[in-house]
Amino acid sequence: MELLIQTVVNGLIQSGFYALAAIGLVLVFGVMRVVNFAHGELVMIGAYTIWFVHAQNGVPYLITVVLAILLVTALGLLMERFLFRPMTGDPLGGLICSIGMLFILQVIATYVGGEGPSKQVPPPFEGTLVLMDSVRIPYQRLFSITVAVFALGILWYFLTRTKFGWAVRAVSMDREAAALQGISTIRVSMIAIGVGAAMAGLAGALMAPLTNINPHMGHNVIIAAFIVTIVGGVGSLPGAVIASVLYALFHTFVTTYFSGTIATISGLVIMVLVLIVRPTGIMGHRVSE
Amino acid sequence: MSKYETNDSRRKFLKQVAAGATTATAASIIPSRAFSANKQLTVGMNIPMTGDLAPWGLPGYYGCEIIARNINAAGGVTIGGETYDINIATYDHGYETDKAVQGMKKLVLEDDAKMVMMLGGATVAAVLPWATRKKVLTTTLLPSDITPDSNYLVATCESHPLYNATGVEWLARNYPEAKTAVIVTNNDVEYGLQSTALYQAAFEVAGIEVVDTNLHGFDVTDFAPIVSSVLDKDPDIFCMATSFYVTPIMEQLYHQGFDGKIISCTLDFYHEIIAKTSVDFVNGTIFQFPDFDDPALADVNFPDPGGFDAAFRADHPNDWSAVAWEYPVILLNWIENAQAAGSVESEAVTAQMTGSEQNFVFGGGSWWGSQLWGLDNVLVGRWPVVVVEDGRARIQEYGDLAAWLDANNDVLIKHMKALGLRTV
Amino acid sequence: MNNFIPAKFRPVLFLLLLYAGLIVLPHFLKYHQQDFLIFLTINILVVVSYRLVTLTGEWSLIHAVMMGVGAYTSALISKNFDISFWITLPLAGVMAGLVALLLSYPLFRMTQFYFLIGSFAAGEAIRLSWIQFIKPFGGTGGTSAIPSPELMNIDFLEPIPYFYLVLIVVSICVYLLYRIENSRIGLTLHAVHWKGVLAESVGVNTWNYRTLAFVIGSLFVGIAGALKVHYIGTVAPKQFDIGFMVFILIWVIVGGYRTFYGAIIGAVVLSVLDEILRGVEQLRPAIYGATLIFFILYLPGGLESLPQKIKQKFRANRESAT
Repeated sequence: MELLIQTVVNGLIQSGFYALAAIGLVLVFGVMRVVNFAHGELVMIGAYTIWFVHAQNGVPYLITVVLAILLVTALGLLMERFLFRPMTGDPLGGLICSIGMLFILQVIATYVGGEGPSKQVPPPFEGTLVLMDSVRIPYQRLFSITVAVFALGILWYFLTRTKFGWAVRAVSMDREAAALQGISTIRVSMIAIGVGAAMAGLAGALMAPLTNINPHMGHNVIIAAFIVTIVGGVGSLPGAVIASVLYALFHTFVTTYFSGTIATISGLVIMVLVLIVRPTGIMGHRVSE
Repeated sequence: MSKYETNDSRRKFLKQVAAGATTATAASIIPSRAFSANKQLTVGMNIPMTGDLAPWGLPGYYGCEIIARNINAAGGVTIGGETYDINIATYDHGYETDKAVQGMKKLVLEDDAKMVMMLGGATVAAVLPWATRKKVLTTTLLPSDITPDSNYLVATCESHPLYNATGVEWLARNYPEAKTAVIVTNNDVEYGLQSTALYQAAFEVAGIEVVDTNLHGFDVTDFAPIVSSVLDKDPDIFCMATSFYVTPIMEQLYHQGFDGKIISCTLDFYHEIIAKTSVDFVNGTIFQFPDFDDPALADVNFPDPGGFDAAFRADHPNDWSAVAWEYPVILLNWIENAQAAGSVESEAVTAQMTGSEQNFVFGGGSWWGSQLWGLDNVLVGRWPVVVVEDGRARIQEYGDLAAWLDANNDVLIKHMKALGLRTV
Repeated sequence: MNNFIPAKFRPVLFLLLLYAGLIVLPHFLKYHQQDFLIFLTINILVVVSYRLVTLTGEWSLIHAVMMGVGAYTSALISKNFDISFWITLPLAGVMAGLVALLLSYPLFRMTQFYFLIGSFAAGEAIRLSWIQFIKPFGGTGGTSAIPSPELMNIDFLEPIPYFYLVLIVVSICVYLLYRIENSRIGLTLHAVHWKGVLAESVGVNTWNYRTLAFVIGSLFVGIAGALKVHYIGTVAPKQFDIGFMVFILIWVIVGGYRTFYGAIIGAVVLSVLDEILRGVEQLRPAIYGATLIFFILYLPGGLESLPQKIKQKFRANRESAT
C-alpha cells in the first residue's frame, strides 16, 4: 500500500517536469508549425547553467534559476529570429534547422563542462519530508513541483486573461485568420517561443539537482515531450498538461512494477496509436496545414 | 630467466619509474616526448574518450601519460638491448563498434602500436577477429570478452566482475545479521548482467538471499520508482552491480531513507555523491576501487602510488575514476613482460606473459578463465575491499579471489547460465 | 574534347573511369582508410534508398532503424542457424521490406508533421525492443561474432576483398533504384509529391505509392545494414540510433535531395570532411550542425545545385556589366 502511495507521489512529481518541458514544444508548434527538435537541448542548457553558475561558481540557487530562464529565453528568441523566421512556411526546413542547432548546443555544453562523467549539482534544499515510513518526498522535489505548478498557473492566466494570450491562441487556431484580424504573427511567434523557452529553461533549472547532467540529456526529455504533446493533442495546452500527468503516472507505475524500458516502449506505441485513432489527441483541434 | 632475476629487474624498473616521477613533477612542463635520442615505442589505446563511456577511457589515458612521462624523464626503458621512449597513441572510438575497428587498424598499421589497450565489451568483440588473426596483443578490462580462440586478448588488471566476490565475502563476515539483498543495475550484457550473475553467486555462497533483481534500461531519467520498487522488499543489503547510475541511485536511497548496507562495484566520483547526500550516509559503503593515496597500498606492485595519485589530481582534479590506475597497471605489466622477453613484438610478449608467473598489482597472480570462457587469459590475484570511512575510500583487506573462484566456480556458472550469459 | 566524344557515350565513359578508379583506389589507401571506404560505399546505398522514400514528399525518421532491421535479421540468422551470408543478405532486405509494409498501415494514415513524429516513435520503439529483449537481440551491447561471407577462398575479413563485394552489391542496388526512379513508378512518386490531389483525381492511389516507396527504400537499406554488420562482426542498437538518422538527413540535404546524385555527393563530401576533422572530435557535431543550418538557409538545393547557382551568378554579373 505504501509503495502504491509512494508511486503516485513519484509520478505526480515527474508530471511537473513533463508538463514544463512539453509546454514549449506545444506552444511553438501551435503558433509556428515548427517541430523544435532542439527543445530538449534548451532544457539541457537550463540544467548546465545551474551546474556552471550555481554549483561551480557559487551563485545562489534561486538567482541562478532566474538566470537560466533568461538565458534560455534569449536562446529561444535567437533561434526564432535566425532560424525559424526565415523558414516560415517550410516546416521541414525549420525542423532541420533545429536539428542543426541541437548539435551546436550539445557541443557548447561539452566545451563548458568538459568530457567525462555526468555533472552533479548538490541539492540546495536538503532533507526529506516523511509522510509515512516509506512515503517520502525530498524537499528539493517538493520545491520543484510547487514551482512547476505555480509557473503553469501563471502561464494559464497569461493565455486566458491577457490580450497577448488571446493573440497567441488565435494564431495557433488559425494563422491566416489571425493575420487578417491584424494580429502580428511575428510578434506572437516571438512571444510563443520566448514563453516556451522560458519554461524549458525553468524545467532544466529545476531538474538539475535531481538528475545526471550531460550534453545528451535532451534526448530523453524530447521523447517524453513528444509523447505528451501528441497524446494531449498538438497545439493544446490543457491537453499537454493533462497528458503530462497521465503519462507520468503511467510511466512511473510501469517502471515500478515492470521495467523502465517497457514503459518507454509502451509510451511510444500509445503515441502511434493516438496518431492513428485520434490524431487530434485527447484535447486538440485539427491543425490547419 | 629465473623468477628471481625477473623480480630483481622488476624492482629496479619500478624504482626507475618512481625516480622519474620526482624528476618529472619537478619540471612537469616537460612534454612526454622531450628532445630525446631514444627510439619511440608506441603503445595504443583504443578507448572511448568522448561520449557516455568517456569516464572509463579518458582517465586511463591521463594515467598512462603520467607513467610515460615518468619513464621518459628517467631516460626511457630498455628492452632487448634497445632503449625506448614510451609514446601513447590514442584513438577515440566513442564506444562505437565501426570506429573501434578503424581505430585498431590505424593504431597497429599506421602508428605502429605494439600493444593496444581497450575498455572491453562490444568494441572488443568487434576488433577481435582481426586482432586475433594479426596477432595483435590486446588488453581488456572485461574478461568476459575472452573466447576459446582469442589467444592475443588478455585481462591483466581488472577481472570484472569476478573481484566483486571479495566485497560480498567481507560484508558477510563483518555483518552476519544482513540476510537479504536486492540488486539494481543497467540491463546491458557486458557490465550489468555479468556483474549481476557474479553478485547472485557471491550472495548465494555467503548465505544471503537475493529478494529482488531490477535490471533497468539506459533510458531511465528518474530513479525514484525503481528504488521505491526494490525497497518495498525491505532488504538488508542494497547492491549496485556495475551500475552506470550510482550517483542518482544513491541519492534516491538517501531520500527514501534506506539504512541497510550498500555494496557496489564502483563508487566513482564519490565526493559528488557525498555532496548530494551526506557523509554519514555514504560512510560504510562497500566497493572495489581504492584511491591511490591510500596508505594500505604501500607495498603493491606499482611505482609510488601516492605520487601517482598526487600527479594525477594535480593535472586533472575532477577526473579520477576506477580506470585511472588500471590502464597504467596494464602498461607497466606489458613493459615488464617485454623486458623479460627481450622483444616488443606481440607474439614474443604474449608468449612471455601467458607462459610465466606474473606479479599481479595487488599481489598474487595466476592465470584463470578457461573454466568460464575457454582460455586462461585472465590474471587474477588479490583484490582490495574498499569501504568509505569519514568520507574517504579506504582499503579494508585484500580478498583472495583465486581461492574463491576455484571453490565456487559451479555456482557462478549456474547464475551466468540463468541470465543467458556465454560460458564454455 | 567535347566534340571528340559523342554525347551519348559520355556517361558510359564517365562510369568506366569511375569504376576503374574505384577498383584501384583501395590499393593506394592507408589501412583504416580502406575501412572508411567500405563504410562510405555502404552509406551511399543508405542515402540513395532514403531518397526514394522522400520522393513522395514524406520525410521519415525511421530509415536508420530499418537498416538495423536488416542488419539484425542477417546477423542473427547467419549466426544462430549457421546459414550462409549469401542467403541472409537478401533475407535482410525482405525482412526490412516486410516490417516497412506492416508499419505502413499505421504510419501512412499520417502526413507531414504527424508522419515525421510517428515514424520517429515507431523507430524508437523498435530500437528499444532490441535493448529490452536480450534474447535474441543481445541488449545494449548487441550481438557479436557474426560470421563473414564465405566464397571460394576469398578472405572477407580483409578490407579490399570486402570492398569489392560491397562495391558490386551497392552498384547493383543503386542501379536498380535508379531504374525504379526513372520508371513509370518513379514518375508517379514524383507526381504524388508535387501534385498529390491531382494525382488522386486521375486515379492514382497515393497510399499505395507511398507504401511502395517506403517498402522498396526499406528493403534496400536493410541490405545495406547486412553489408555493414557482416564486416564489423557486431550489431548493436547504437549503430542505428537517431544520431545516425540525423546524419542520413544531413547527407541528403547538404548534397541536394532534388536529384539522384545529389544525395551521393552529400554522403561522399561530408564523410570525407568528417574523416579530415578527426582530431577535433569534440567540435565535429557543431560543424555538422552549422553546415546543415547554412545549407538549409542559403543553399536549399544542396551541393548539386552549386554549379548551376555559380553559373547563374556569373551570367547575371556579365549581364549587369554590359
